Amino acid sequence: MNVAPSDDLRDPSSLYFQYDKVRRSIIASYWLVFFLALPLWWNTTSIERLPLPSSNVHAQHGRELRLPVKIALDPAFGSIASSVESELRNVIQQKHQTPPLDVSIFVGNEQGGWYDEDVYAVKPGETGMVLDGRRLGFPKDHLTPSSLAQTLSSLILPYSAKQEHRVAQYSPRFRLAFTLLNEDASAGQTVTGWDILDAIDRHISPITSAVSVLHNFTIESQVQFHAPLAFEPKPLEDGTFGLTPEDLTIFVNSAEWTLSSSSSNDPVLHFVLFVPSLSRRPLVILNDDGTPSTSNAFLIPQWGSIVICNLPPIPNEKWLSNSDLMTPFSAFSHQLSALLGIPKLPSGIKTSPSTSSLSPWQIDALLRHRMHEAVRRTKDTLLSTVQLVQQIPNMPVDAKAQSDVQNALSALDAVWDSEGGKAFNLTDMLGNSARALTSSQRAFFHPGMLALLYFPAEHKYAVYTPLFASAVIPLIATAIREFLAWRRQRREAVNER
Amino acid sequence: MFLSFTATLTKAWSFFLILWLTSCLYVSGEYHEHETEVKDFFQRNGSSTHTNNWAVLVCSSRYWFNYRHMSNALGMYRTVKRLGIPDSNIILMLADDSACNSRNKFPASVYANAGRNLDLYGSNIEVDYRGYEVTVENFLRVLTGRLPESVPRSKRLLSDSNSNIFVYMTGHGGNEFLKFQDSEEVSAHDIADAFEQMWQGGRYNEIFFMIDTCQANTMYSKFYSPNILATGSSLEGENSYSYENDHDLGVSVIDSYTHYVLEFMENVNKTSRLTMGDLFTSYNVPKIASHPGIRSDLFPRPLGGGEALHDYGRGSGWRHPGEWVGREQEKSKKGSEALITDFFGGVVGVDIEEDTSDAHHTEASSDSVPKERTKAEKKGVKASPYLAQRTTKTRSWINLKELRAWSSFLIVGLLVGLVWARQS
Repeated sequence: MNVAPSDDLRDPSSLYFQYDKVRRSIIASYWLVFFLALPLWWNTTSIERLPLPSSNVHAQHGRELRLPVKIALDPAFGSIASSVESELRNVIQQKHQTPPLDVSIFVGNEQGGWYDEDVYAVKPGETGMVLDGRRLGFPKDHLTPSSLAQTLSSLILPYSAKQEHRVAQYSPRFRLAFTLLNEDASAGQTVTGWDILDAIDRHISPITSAVSVLHNFTIESQVQFHAPLAFEPKPLEDGTFGLTPEDLTIFVNSAEWTLSSSSSNDPVLHFVLFVPSLSRRPLVILNDDGTPSTSNAFLIPQWGSIVICNLPPIPNEKWLSNSDLMTPFSAFSHQLSALLGIPKLPSGIKTSPSTSSLSPWQIDALLRHRMHEAVRRTKDTLLSTVQLVQQIPNMPVDAKAQSDVQNALSALDAVWDSEGGKAFNLTDMLGNSARALTSSQRAFFHPGMLALLYFPAEHKYAVYTPLFASAVIPLIATAIREFLAWRRQRREAVNER
Repeated sequence: MFLSFTATLTKAWSFFLILWLTSCLYVSGEYHEHETEVKDFFQRNGSSTHTNNWAVLVCSSRYWFNYRHMSNALGMYRTVKRLGIPDSNIILMLADDSACNSRNKFPASVYANAGRNLDLYGSNIEVDYRGYEVTVENFLRVLTGRLPESVPRSKRLLSDSNSNIFVYMTGHGGNEFLKFQDSEEVSAHDIADAFEQMWQGGRYNEIFFMIDTCQANTMYSKFYSPNILATGSSLEGENSYSYENDHDLGVSVIDSYTHYVLEFMENVNKTSRLTMGDLFTSYNVPKIASHPGIRSDLFPRPLGGGEALHDYGRGSGWRHPGEWVGREQEKSKKGSEALITDFFGGVVGVDIEEDTSDAHHTEASSDSVPKERTKAEKKGVKASPYLAQRTTKTRSWINLKELRAWSSFLIVGLLVGLVWARQS
């Protein structure tokens, strides 16, 4: 049945919203939004990864720090200067595969006009080897090139691998916590306090001020009246009590002793003066073979030091005076030096009475050692940063981390510059190397560098597919259909013509 | 019209499914290759020279019915503390506070056994991260040390290159993931990457990783950094079960694997010479009701445990050939055996100071070895061009793979659109 075309049933293509032009522009606008949104999507889902100067880091990693050391021999030793120099180089070479020092020896004395703060002088002396400032008095009668070279090397490079594990890792700030522990005050003969301020002034301050270029110290102290041990000391036949070497490793009862306030993130070095309970005195340290040791102090590597205080019979309450603290605090000061890495003077060498307890030879050796450590750690940290960023594609690198890496590199450059430069200054160089280390550490541990959570590829598809497939497929399909319709129309138009 | 549309959609979906499955295959293949490379590279001998111990103990699940996970973590906390790790060196993360839950009939107490003999909460406990602070992000930040300046000392893992770290995790997990709270997951890749960042940053000497969850052994399968010893409670596809109920509390009080580990640990004291091998050989499959696994291929020291360890994973209850990655390397390892107290204990060595100025120093520990060697080894590892080579390779791989996946995605979309357009 044919129905005559009426006004009610119009051709769809004549409807306003079905005009080809309108329909196509609607579809096109969808595509437009889609394409405009793409950069936004890309921007919001990508991770900010600024470039790091990795080639520079790799180049820096290859460089080794060699610090110049100048030694002036008194004209009296002029005849053996060259053999001392070669001998000294040999000795240093044997100790280290890559010599960390650039030693040069020349002949001259103060009158000769070379006088310079950083030059070490060797002069003839009368009795024994004596250090006075940067001058070493060496007796002429024992003089051979090798003995002088040995002495010099033990002074300018005193570090051996054996002691290294005790030294605390470098930190610009340290907290020293002094604790007086009564094992059990209720047993009687309690130590109620100590003259800590005087003792610190006398024994600790000389050391802390000598290394003040390197570290900043905060000191805290406390007295405790109940600090039980976690084990029973072994009673000995003569009525004393013994601590076996095994006991020493578990001496610190960390579960029950509070040894330092946790108010800052600085590393803490602990110094404990332990007063045994009345029923367990005297408490002695035993050697491996079970005989009592002459020492009553021991050191826990990188942690701190413990001194056991065996007092003679005392009244029921006692205040430890300056003279009582003499022995324990001289042990503390030795151990603080050991923990900070201040080298001991080789045996047989004395300091002249006029100088302070630490000679410039020791401090310089420490500075050089710390500088090497700082430079090595900086190089390692920078390399690790660059490698990790390469290795973990999700790890963000923001402007802060980037600038920290650059700061570390420029501080390292400053170190290299002053190493070869004329104006060589140990303290400046130390400042630069410390700055390099701090910046590189800050870059590595920058909170923004946390790699985003790992999403396996299948998770990505699982999220994107249901979200986008249902939206994209009709869009694509209509686009294709419109394109085909447009082509058909054009062909028809051509045919008609 | 509508019907045909849905029909094509179903068709499209099957396309996507195939696409997705192939991409999964790519992903899993890549990591196996990477693992063996690393395995070969780190087969070297070393020894433990640590000066401090740290522990990170994580209970990642909330709610009262997960009481047992909290007591797992608290049981470990009690053990490491008893063996000499101070509170300042323990990071304890508890995702919920079952002790103060209103359903707890014994308020302020957490028990790990049906008789309620030992209160794990006790009077001296320091929870560092609790409740909603226990997130994947915080966990990874604690490990990698990337914390904001304002975070206090007690919430930081301030370890260094001389630290041995014990990491214990418990919660609900699955194949290569562990659920945190009820909202997020940490994957095996995340932990492996975090450990690598710790290694590069000089934040550990050795790590002992222990995990008690379902399919726990998958969690350590992605590790690739050196000096890590790992153990888990159950195989892939296997559940980890609870040990017992307390009828007054009305919930399970502890997981089986952790219960037996803790039971073994009760025999260990601060100066014990028991080895990791002794711990592993104490695993009893019929009792634990799941198959615990070990991974020691990244760990350079021998595990100890004597003859019994050779038969680990063989015998009654075990599936052939047991779950031990690194069994082959074990025979060729040299150095001091890994003691339990290396990871659970306090200090290792003490130097006695003589009063006289030319002191001689006694080493209290017999097994400490010059530091130089370990240092040199570490440096060698870092400086090796090998790492850089491998990483660049992996990276271009991923890009290529993603590009391929997306382009195939587009092509399939176009094809489907074309077919549909033709039909209508």
